[in-house]
Amino acid sequence: MFNVCYRIVKDEPAAEDVLQDAFINAFRNLKNYRGDSAFGAWLKRIVVNKAITHIGRRRLERIPEEEGFDIQEETQDESASFPFTVDRVKEAILSLPDGYRTVLSLYLLEGYDHEEIGQVLEISESTSKSQFSRAKKKLIEILKEQKYG
Amino acid sequence: MDDSLSEFVKKNKDGFDDKEPSARVWKEIENRLPLAKHVSIWNSVAVWRAAALAFLCLSLYTFFTRPSGRPNMNAYQSADFTDLETFYSGQIQEKVEFINSFETGNEKDQLGQDFQKLDAMYQVLSEEMKIRPSEKVKDAMVLNLLIRIDLLNQQIKKLEDKRKPRNMAS
Repeated sequence: MFNVCYRIVKDEPAAEDVLQDAFINAFRNLKNYRGDSAFGAWLKRIVVNKAITHIGRRRLERIPEEEGFDIQEETQDESASFPFTVDRVKEAILSLPDGYRTVLSLYLLEGYDHEEIGQVLEISESTSKSQFSRAKKKLIEILKEQKYG
Repeated sequence: MDDSLSEFVKKNKDGFDDKEPSARVWKEIENRLPLAKHVSIWNSVAVWRAAALAFLCLSLYTFFTRPSGRPNMNAYQSADFTDLETFYSGQIQEKVEFINSFETGNEKDQLGQDFQKLDAMYQVLSEEMKIRPSEKVKDAMVLNLLIRIDLLNQQIKKLEDKRKPRNMAS
């Protein structure tokens, strides 16, 4: 849960505060848990919502519509394997803008589908899909920059 | 590369979930849930045990001391009866002593035998009174005592009748 929180909030002490609030909130609202989803999923949803509310103040810069640089077409030589380490990918994810990072984390790491991401972020499913696509491209761009830069 | 990123993340999921929150988080959560502590007082087994014990003590006290119900009625009757028994026994004792002061062999023996029978009956009734106290038994016991008094009175009358002619003659 802490990792979910940290990936969205991007700051350890802040992520700890968010986790605290989320757990206390969940405890006080246990009566609202209807059992229609796994308890872990219910709790994770509360954590995700709290984390998103936390970065909500920066929501304006969440989803940049246009990038100031062009994303190059992927080269064929790297498609067979993924030539980056976990640490570098983590680092690259953290350097993504809030909106991209959130969508990418929720989809790739938390296993949310675009419908769920749409509900959580109050955006449409198609916006989620396009944001994820852009986020992924941006991530790979960052990784390549790190590698060759 | 898009798919390989997804696969890479899936394969290395544990590597992405490596961060642990500090102990402060759990401590803080614990501190901020005073409700849990409050509830624990009433969930405490010790408190319920104490309450159960107090209830038991109160029940026993009430059962043994409350002046109502059948056992207490019997106790009241017994107390009443004891007074009656003491009164009649006193009278009987007085009359027996009076008669004994005029010793007349045969009559005294006859009276003694009657009294032995009455005593035996009285003991049986006494036992019955202890086990199954009832108005009937109580009445039978009182009657037993009254018969003795009656017998004694008869005896005294006989003695007086015997003395009168003598006194008149002298």
